[in-house]
Amino acid sequence: MADGHSFNSISLGGRGGTNPGQLKVHSGGIVWKKQGGGKAVEVDKSDLLGLTWMKVPRSNQLGVRTKDGLHYKFTGFRDQDVASLNTFFKSNFSTTPEEKQLSVSGKNWGEVDLNGNTLTFLVGNKQAFEISLADVAQTQLQGKNDVMLEFHVDDTTGANEKDSLMEISFHVPNSNTQFVGDESRP
Amino acid sequence: GTNRGPMKPSGDLIAYKNVNDLPPPRDFMIQVDQKNEAILLPIYGKMVPFHIATVKSVSSQQDTSRTCYIRIILNTPGAPFAQNDPNLQKFPDSIYVKEVSFHSKDPRHISEVVQLIKTLRKQFASRESEKAERAT
Repeated sequence: MADGHSFNSISLGGRGGTNPGQLKVHSGGIVWKKQGGGKAVEVDKSDLLGLTWMKVPRSNQLGVRTKDGLHYKFTGFRDQDVASLNTFFKSNFSTTPEEKQLSVSGKNWGEVDLNGNTLTFLVGNKQAFEISLADVAQTQLQGKNDVMLEFHVDDTTGANEKDSLMEISFHVPNSNTQFVGDESRP
Repeated sequence: GTNRGPMKPSGDLIAYKNVNDLPPPRDFMIQVDQKNEAILLPIYGKMVPFHIATVKSVSSQQDTSRTCYIRIILNTPGAPFAQNDPNLQKFPDSIYVKEVSFHSKDPRHISEVVQLIKTLRKQFASRESEKAERAT
Protein backbone atom coordinates (compact mmCIF):
# COMPACT_ATOMS: atom_id res chain seq x y z
CA MET A 1 0.00 0.00 0.00
CA ALA A 2 2.95 2.30 0.53
CA ASP A 3 3.26 2.85 -3.17
CA GLY A 4 -0.32 3.85 -3.64
CA HIS A 5 -3.58 2.58 -5.02
CA SER A 6 -4.61 1.33 -8.40
CA PHE A 7 -8.14 1.24 -9.77
CA ASN A 8 -9.40 -0.45 -12.88
CA SER A 9 -12.44 0.81 -14.77
CA ILE A 10 -12.15 4.46 -13.93
CA SER A 11 -13.60 6.71 -16.61
CA LEU A 12 -12.32 10.09 -17.60
CA GLY A 13 -15.26 12.34 -18.35
CA GLY A 14 -15.25 15.04 -20.95
CA ARG A 15 -17.30 16.70 -23.58
CA GLY A 16 -17.51 13.61 -25.75
CA GLY A 17 -18.76 11.33 -23.02
CA THR A 18 -16.46 9.13 -20.99
CA ASN A 19 -13.43 7.00 -21.68
CA PRO A 20 -12.69 3.90 -19.59
CA GLY A 21 -9.22 3.43 -18.20
CA GLN A 22 -7.05 2.74 -15.20
CA LEU A 23 -6.17 5.19 -12.49
CA LYS A 24 -3.16 5.05 -10.22
CA VAL A 25 -2.60 7.20 -7.21
CA HIS A 26 0.98 7.15 -5.95
CA SER A 27 3.01 9.29 -3.59
CA GLY A 28 4.16 11.50 -6.49
CA GLY A 29 0.79 12.18 -8.03
CA ILE A 30 -2.07 10.77 -10.09
CA VAL A 31 -1.84 8.87 -13.39
CA TRP A 32 -4.71 7.76 -15.61
CA LYS A 33 -4.27 5.64 -18.71
CA LYS A 34 -6.93 5.01 -21.29
CA GLN A 35 -7.92 1.39 -21.76
CA GLY A 36 -6.11 -0.03 -24.78
CA GLY A 37 -3.53 2.73 -24.79
CA GLY A 38 -3.61 6.18 -26.26
CA LYS A 39 -4.51 9.03 -24.03
CA ALA A 40 -2.92 9.37 -20.65
CA VAL A 41 -3.27 11.97 -17.95
CA GLU A 42 -0.50 12.63 -15.47
CA VAL A 43 -0.80 15.07 -12.65
CA ASP A 44 2.23 15.64 -10.50
CA LYS A 45 1.68 16.26 -6.82
CA SER A 46 3.25 19.71 -7.18
CA ASP A 47 0.78 20.65 -9.94
CA LEU A 48 -2.23 19.72 -7.87
CA LEU A 49 -4.49 22.63 -7.00
CA GLY A 50 -7.40 20.83 -5.42
CA LEU A 51 -9.35 17.61 -5.17
CA THR A 52 -13.10 17.09 -4.89
CA TRP A 53 -15.44 14.17 -4.36
CA MET A 54 -18.93 14.02 -5.68
CA LYS A 55 -21.53 11.29 -5.37
CA VAL A 56 -22.83 10.51 -8.84
CA PRO A 57 -25.35 7.80 -9.81
CA ARG A 58 -24.00 4.44 -8.61
CA SER A 59 -20.51 5.78 -8.25
CA ASN A 60 -18.22 8.49 -6.94
CA GLN A 61 -16.42 11.09 -8.97
CA LEU A 62 -12.98 12.45 -8.18
CA GLY A 63 -12.33 15.97 -9.45
CA VAL A 64 -8.70 16.90 -9.99
CA ARG A 65 -7.88 20.53 -10.50
CA THR A 66 -4.39 21.50 -11.65
CA LYS A 67 -2.45 24.72 -11.37
CA ASP A 68 -2.59 25.07 -15.17
CA GLY A 69 -6.36 25.51 -14.88
CA LEU A 70 -7.25 22.01 -16.05
CA HIS A 71 -10.01 20.07 -14.38
CA TYR A 72 -10.22 16.30 -14.79
CA LYS A 73 -13.15 14.23 -13.65
CA PHE A 74 -12.71 10.55 -12.91
CA THR A 75 -15.73 8.35 -12.26
CA GLY A 76 -15.99 4.76 -11.05
CA PHE A 77 -14.95 4.83 -7.39
CA ARG A 78 -16.86 2.78 -4.84
CA ASP A 79 -17.71 4.21 -1.44
CA GLN A 80 -14.94 2.23 0.21
CA ASP A 81 -12.44 3.60 -2.33
CA VAL A 82 -13.32 7.10 -1.23
CA ALA A 83 -12.46 6.33 2.36
CA SER A 84 -9.14 4.68 1.58
CA LEU A 85 -8.14 7.38 -0.90
CA ASN A 86 -8.93 10.12 1.57
CA THR A 87 -6.46 8.55 3.99
CA PHE A 88 -3.89 8.33 1.23
CA PHE A 89 -4.38 11.91 0.06
CA LYS A 90 -4.05 13.14 3.60
CA SER A 91 -0.78 11.41 4.34
CA ASN A 92 0.83 11.84 0.90
CA PHE A 93 -0.56 15.08 -0.53
CA SER A 94 -1.51 16.58 2.84
CA THR A 95 -4.88 17.49 1.45
CA THR A 96 -8.46 16.43 2.09
CA PRO A 97 -10.81 16.49 -0.90
CA GLU A 98 -13.71 18.85 -0.68
CA GLU A 99 -17.12 17.21 -0.92
CA LYS A 100 -19.48 18.50 -3.55
CA GLN A 101 -23.07 17.55 -4.17
CA LEU A 102 -24.84 16.86 -7.41
CA SER A 103 -28.21 18.41 -8.07
CA VAL A 104 -30.77 15.98 -9.45
CA SER A 105 -33.92 17.98 -8.78
CA GLY A 106 -34.41 18.79 -12.46
CA LYS A 107 -34.74 22.53 -12.06
CA ASN A 108 -33.50 24.82 -14.81
CA TRP A 109 -32.87 27.82 -12.63
CA GLY A 110 -29.91 28.42 -10.39
CA GLU A 111 -26.57 30.15 -10.36
CA VAL A 112 -23.65 30.29 -12.71
CA ASP A 113 -20.16 30.09 -11.27
CA LEU A 114 -17.11 30.87 -13.38
CA ASN A 115 -13.82 29.48 -12.18
CA GLY A 116 -10.88 29.42 -14.55
CA ASN A 117 -12.04 27.62 -17.67
CA THR A 118 -14.99 26.00 -16.00
CA LEU A 119 -18.56 27.19 -15.99
CA THR A 120 -20.63 25.51 -13.29
CA PHE A 121 -24.40 25.61 -13.15
CA LEU A 122 -25.53 25.31 -9.54
CA VAL A 123 -29.02 24.60 -8.28
CA GLY A 124 -29.43 25.36 -4.61
CA ASN A 125 -25.66 25.22 -4.05
CA LYS A 126 -25.47 21.79 -5.62
CA GLN A 127 -23.77 21.26 -8.92
CA ALA A 128 -26.08 20.46 -11.83
CA PHE A 129 -23.45 20.40 -14.59
CA GLU A 130 -20.13 21.81 -15.68
CA ILE A 131 -18.93 23.08 -19.04
CA SER A 132 -15.38 23.70 -20.14
CA LEU A 133 -15.16 27.10 -21.75
CA ALA A 134 -12.13 25.88 -23.70
CA ASP A 135 -14.57 23.98 -25.93
CA VAL A 136 -16.72 26.99 -26.64
CA ALA A 137 -16.30 28.15 -30.22
CA GLN A 138 -18.40 31.25 -29.94
CA THR A 139 -20.49 33.17 -27.47
CA GLN A 140 -23.36 35.30 -28.58
CA LEU A 141 -25.51 37.77 -26.80
CA GLN A 142 -29.10 37.34 -27.92
CA GLY A 143 -31.28 40.24 -27.09
CA LYS A 144 -30.52 41.83 -23.77
CA ASN A 145 -30.84 38.83 -21.56
CA ASP A 146 -29.68 35.68 -23.27
CA VAL A 147 -26.17 34.31 -23.61
CA MET A 148 -25.60 31.55 -26.12
CA LEU A 149 -22.55 29.27 -26.04
CA GLU A 150 -21.72 27.37 -29.19
CA PHE A 151 -19.41 24.39 -29.02
CA HIS A 152 -16.85 23.21 -31.52
CA VAL A 153 -18.25 20.44 -33.63
CA ASP A 154 -15.59 17.80 -33.64
CA ASP A 155 -16.56 14.44 -35.02
CA THR A 156 -13.14 12.89 -34.64
CA THR A 157 -13.19 13.03 -30.86
CA GLY A 158 -16.90 12.24 -30.77
CA ALA A 159 -15.91 9.42 -28.43
CA ASN A 160 -18.67 7.12 -27.37
CA GLU A 161 -21.66 9.35 -27.00
CA LYS A 162 -24.48 9.36 -29.47
CA ASP A 163 -25.87 12.80 -28.82
CA SER A 164 -23.39 15.61 -28.40
CA LEU A 165 -23.92 19.03 -27.00
CA MET A 166 -23.93 21.72 -29.66
CA GLU A 167 -25.34 24.82 -28.04
CA ILE A 168 -26.56 25.93 -24.68
CA SER A 169 -28.05 29.25 -23.77
CA PHE A 170 -28.66 30.94 -20.46
CA HIS A 171 -31.28 33.51 -19.65
CA VAL A 172 -30.17 36.23 -17.25
CA PRO A 173 -33.21 38.18 -16.02
CA ASN A 174 -32.91 41.93 -15.53
CA SER A 175 -33.41 41.33 -11.85
CA ASN A 176 -30.20 39.35 -11.64
CA THR A 177 -27.40 41.29 -10.07
CA GLN A 178 -24.57 38.82 -10.45
CA PHE A 179 -23.72 39.67 -14.03
CA VAL A 180 -23.98 43.19 -15.30
CA GLY A 181 -22.75 44.74 -18.51
CA ASP A 182 -19.99 42.98 -20.33
CA GLU A 183 -19.52 40.35 -17.69
CA SER A 184 -22.65 38.63 -18.89
CA ARG A 185 -20.46 37.26 -21.65
CA PRO A 186 -18.44 34.54 -20.02
CA GLY B 1 -44.26 23.33 -31.12
CA THR B 2 -47.97 23.21 -30.55
CA ASN B 3 -47.72 22.75 -26.83
CA ARG B 4 -47.36 26.34 -25.90
CA GLY B 5 -48.49 27.93 -22.72
CA PRO B 6 -47.34 27.85 -19.15
CA MET B 7 -47.26 24.77 -17.04
CA LYS B 8 -47.74 25.28 -13.39
CA PRO B 9 -46.28 22.48 -11.41
CA SER B 10 -48.03 22.13 -8.12
CA GLY B 11 -45.78 22.15 -5.13
CA ASP B 12 -42.05 22.02 -5.33
CA LEU B 13 -40.57 20.71 -8.51
CA ILE B 14 -38.41 17.66 -7.84
CA ALA B 15 -37.45 15.12 -10.46
CA TYR B 16 -35.22 13.00 -8.24
CA LYS B 17 -34.68 13.09 -4.51
CA ASN B 18 -31.50 11.06 -4.52
CA VAL B 19 -28.54 10.73 -6.84
CA ASN B 20 -29.06 6.97 -7.07
CA ASP B 21 -32.66 7.38 -8.23
CA LEU B 22 -31.46 8.33 -11.69
CA PRO B 23 -31.86 5.63 -14.32
CA PRO B 24 -28.65 3.94 -15.47
CA PRO B 25 -27.08 5.85 -18.36
CA ARG B 26 -27.38 4.30 -21.81
CA ASP B 27 -24.59 5.26 -24.22
CA PHE B 28 -24.70 8.85 -23.09
CA MET B 29 -27.67 9.78 -25.16
CA ILE B 30 -30.77 11.78 -24.37
CA GLN B 31 -33.17 9.77 -22.23
CA VAL B 32 -36.77 10.27 -21.25
CA ASP B 33 -37.73 8.97 -17.81
CA GLN B 34 -41.51 8.63 -17.86
CA LYS B 35 -41.78 7.37 -14.33
CA ASN B 36 -40.06 10.38 -12.82
CA GLU B 37 -41.31 12.79 -15.50
CA ALA B 38 -37.87 14.00 -16.46
CA ILE B 39 -35.57 14.22 -19.42
CA LEU B 40 -31.87 13.46 -19.04
CA LEU B 41 -29.35 15.27 -21.18
CA PRO B 42 -25.73 14.17 -21.62
CA ILE B 43 -23.64 17.21 -20.68
CA TYR B 44 -19.92 16.66 -20.21
CA GLY B 45 -20.12 13.01 -19.33
CA LYS B 46 -23.01 13.44 -16.93
CA MET B 47 -26.68 12.76 -17.37
CA VAL B 48 -28.31 16.01 -16.32
CA PRO B 49 -32.01 15.80 -15.42
CA PHE B 50 -34.58 18.43 -16.26
CA HIS B 51 -38.11 18.05 -14.94
CA ILE B 52 -40.72 17.92 -17.71
CA ALA B 53 -42.34 21.02 -16.21
CA THR B 54 -39.28 23.04 -17.19
CA VAL B 55 -39.63 22.04 -20.85
CA LYS B 56 -41.33 24.56 -23.07
CA SER B 57 -40.88 22.97 -26.47
CA VAL B 58 -38.83 20.48 -28.40
CA SER B 59 -38.04 20.21 -32.08
CA SER B 60 -35.75 18.27 -34.35
CA GLN B 61 -34.22 18.80 -37.72
CA GLN B 62 -32.45 16.46 -40.06
CA ASP B 63 -29.83 17.63 -42.50
CA THR B 64 -28.80 16.01 -45.75
CA SER B 65 -26.18 13.77 -44.26
CA ARG B 66 -27.14 11.30 -41.57
CA THR B 67 -26.79 13.80 -38.77
CA CYS B 68 -29.73 15.40 -37.06
CA TYR B 69 -30.30 18.04 -34.47
CA ILE B 70 -32.57 18.33 -31.49
CA ARG B 71 -33.39 21.58 -29.77
CA ILE B 72 -34.98 21.73 -26.36
CA ILE B 73 -36.30 25.05 -25.13
CA LEU B 74 -36.94 25.45 -21.43
CA ASN B 75 -39.23 27.82 -19.60
CA THR B 76 -37.77 31.17 -18.63
CA PRO B 77 -39.41 34.20 -17.04
CA GLY B 78 -38.93 36.51 -20.02
CA ALA B 79 -40.82 34.32 -22.45
CA PRO B 80 -44.38 35.06 -23.55
CA PHE B 81 -47.04 33.15 -21.58
CA ALA B 82 -44.54 32.34 -18.87
CA GLN B 83 -45.22 35.47 -16.85
CA ASN B 84 -47.87 33.84 -14.71
CA ASP B 85 -45.85 30.85 -13.72
CA PRO B 86 -45.30 31.26 -10.00
CA ASN B 87 -42.25 29.07 -10.11
CA LEU B 88 -40.56 31.42 -12.50
CA GLN B 89 -41.28 34.53 -10.51
CA LYS B 90 -40.06 33.17 -7.24
CA PHE B 91 -36.44 33.33 -8.24
CA PRO B 92 -35.59 36.76 -9.64
CA ASP B 93 -31.91 36.37 -8.85
CA SER B 94 -31.52 33.12 -10.70
CA ILE B 95 -30.00 32.39 -14.06
CA TYR B 96 -31.98 30.03 -16.28
CA VAL B 97 -30.92 27.38 -18.72
CA LYS B 98 -32.96 28.44 -21.70
CA GLU B 99 -32.07 26.22 -24.59
CA VAL B 100 -29.98 23.13 -25.20
CA SER B 101 -29.17 21.73 -28.63
CA PHE B 102 -27.53 18.45 -29.52
CA HIS B 103 -26.47 16.87 -32.72
CA SER B 104 -26.98 13.18 -33.00
CA LYS B 105 -25.76 10.30 -35.07
CA ASP B 106 -29.08 8.52 -34.72
CA PRO B 107 -32.12 10.20 -36.36
CA ARG B 108 -34.46 7.40 -35.27
CA HIS B 109 -33.52 7.84 -31.64
CA ILE B 110 -34.01 11.60 -31.95
CA SER B 111 -37.50 11.35 -33.44
CA GLU B 112 -38.42 8.87 -30.74
CA VAL B 113 -37.11 11.25 -28.05
CA VAL B 114 -39.07 14.18 -29.52
CA GLN B 115 -42.24 12.09 -29.51
CA LEU B 116 -41.70 10.87 -25.95
CA ILE B 117 -41.02 14.37 -24.65
CA LYS B 118 -44.14 15.76 -26.34
CA THR B 119 -46.31 12.97 -24.95
CA LEU B 120 -44.90 13.30 -21.47
CA ARG B 121 -45.37 17.04 -21.56
CA LYS B 122 -49.00 16.64 -22.62
CA GLN B 123 -49.73 14.09 -19.91
CA PHE B 124 -48.16 16.29 -17.30
CA ALA B 125 -50.02 19.40 -18.48
CA SER B 126 -53.43 17.74 -18.53
CA ARG B 127 -52.91 16.22 -15.12
CA GLU B 128 -51.87 19.56 -13.69
CA SER B 129 -54.85 21.36 -15.19
CA GLU B 130 -57.18 18.68 -13.84
CA LYS B 131 -55.68 19.21 -10.43
CA ALA B 132 -56.18 22.95 -10.75
CA GLU B 133 -59.80 22.48 -11.77
CA ARG B 134 -60.54 20.21 -8.87
CA ALA B 135 -59.04 22.75 -6.53
CA THR B 136 -61.44 25.50 -7.57
